[in-house]
Amino acid sequence: MSSGVPVNGDCIQSYQDLKLNTSKTEPKKYIIFNLNKDFTEIIVEKTSISTKYEDFLADLPENECRWAIYDLEFEKDGGDGKRKKIIFVSWVPDDAKIKQKMVFASSRDALKRALVGIAVEVQATDASEIAYETVLEKAKRTY
Amino acid sequence: MVNYGGDEVSALVVDIGSSSLRAGYAGDDTPKAIIPTSYGYKPAPPDVDISMEEGSEAANKSPLATMHLGQSGPSIWRAGMEVGNPLIEGLIQDFNPIRPLIDHAITEVMRCNPSEHPILLTEPTWNTPANRERMAEIMFEEFQVPAFYIANTGVLNAFAAGKGSALVIDVGQAMASVTPVVDGFVLRKGLAYSPLPKLVHAHARHTLISPTPTRRGIDLYPHQLIANKLPVDLGQPPKFTLREDRLAGTTDSWKAWAEGREVDEWIQSVAGVLDQGWNDQLAAMRPPKQYEFPTGYNANFGAERFNVGEQFFWHSPQLVASNANLPKTIPALITESLRACDPELRQVLMGNVVLTGGGSLFSGFADRLSTELMRTFPHTKIHAPGNPVERRYGGWLGGSILASLGTFHQLWISKEEWQEHGAAIVGQRCK
Repeated sequence: MSSGVPVNGDCIQSYQDLKLNTSKTEPKKYIIFNLNKDFTEIIVEKTSISTKYEDFLADLPENECRWAIYDLEFEKDGGDGKRKKIIFVSWVPDDAKIKQKMVFASSRDALKRALVGIAVEVQATDASEIAYETVLEKAKRTY
Repeated sequence: MVNYGGDEVSALVVDIGSSSLRAGYAGDDTPKAIIPTSYGYKPAPPDVDISMEEGSEAANKSPLATMHLGQSGPSIWRAGMEVGNPLIEGLIQDFNPIRPLIDHAITEVMRCNPSEHPILLTEPTWNTPANRERMAEIMFEEFQVPAFYIANTGVLNAFAAGKGSALVIDVGQAMASVTPVVDGFVLRKGLAYSPLPKLVHAHARHTLISPTPTRRGIDLYPHQLIANKLPVDLGQPPKFTLREDRLAGTTDSWKAWAEGREVDEWIQSVAGVLDQGWNDQLAAMRPPKQYEFPTGYNANFGAERFNVGEQFFWHSPQLVASNANLPKTIPALITESLRACDPELRQVLMGNVVLTGGGSLFSGFADRLSTELMRTFPHTKIHAPGNPVERRYGGWLGGSILASLGTFHQLWISKEEWQEHGAAIVGQRCK
């Protein structure tokens, strides 16, 4: 069951850009998605090239929901070299409004389906679940 | 496509549970009408032409001669009034009273015409296809609704907690269930449920009516049957007079219903569960709670009040040995549910446990559940709304938000579609 909220074409565009670096400029590091005001469409709120994880965290508001795509780069244990993984984050803080939570939860699948090639999914409700270490551990585990 | 989006006409959301039927406008944060699912009725007098045997049978078959519904329904004493409940183990078994019940909630309480609003109905995960098709039929053919949808309470509860994937633990009045929800869909093979709350209720009742070394067995007469009472000291025999005029006209089903309510009240105000598992000393150290029954009898309840809640989580070997069909405990249900899920899913599910249902408001329940889960899964996170309304009516609330979304209109089954495709469309559309 889903809410039927459609995904704006820009979302897929930005995602492709992040994944394949089509714009041939500084590679995008993360994208923040949001719903528009009337809850009728999924839109891109921000794309960023910042490689600082703290900047990414700062873009997730404390009591509002967001989705995000993060291009995680890490060293594989045992010196196997660098790995890149695309992380899909559902940020649903406990203090968010129930209606917003509901629409985010029921629209999540539509966005996830539209973005092909997601390696890891994170459902986070508080800071500990979105901490760098937690996400990294998850990314390493799924191979 | 259908034009019955939330923008033009507000949809109605109907959630039928074992203890209450909730109905209200989509977009509201609480249901407008909350009426007991139990109803009072007076059996139709048997036809004089037929023999006694057939007569009593016929009376049983069409018992809805006069129905008493809603707030002044079963709770008001009437001579010869029986009490019935259409649900058994959370499923509708008797469809006869369903229409009057929904009708009462929508037209009498909400003062609203069901033929003008799309209706979203909720269903438990173990609902049968025949049942949901019958409900669709009632909605379209009897209420003439313009559009209809039936949604799963597990999914709605997960959504209301903001989760697309979650392990939903729902404790109601009759049933306790564990439903894994993955990406907005129920993982049916992982469903586990049992009539555990009924066992807890029976245990509480047994605790109350059996005498102990320190107190007598307690009379559970409801206030409707008591003419007057005098205040007595703690633990002293009650001094009350029954309404003799009413005793003869009291039916067994009404008495069972009314006594059940007394037990429930006691459970809600006195019973609890220890957060760290059973321990005689800890239970004895907790302060006792005083409770007064309608007879005027009042007593302090100490360790025994925690023993009641313990039934949710643990059953003594003697009890298990004496009853082969004992309902499974909450930890057993969770284990059963997880065993049916893929190992990589378990981690996700345990990180997103959603606790819901009125029964989960049982004092100490969430803390104890957390202790039990931490033992096996260190990364457990339980989402339990602190607001009792959100917990009690989580399924309704989820349905309310979902049906109020403008984009939801594409999912409604319209009347035209119903007429064209018939019952088959319900299973296709409502997954």
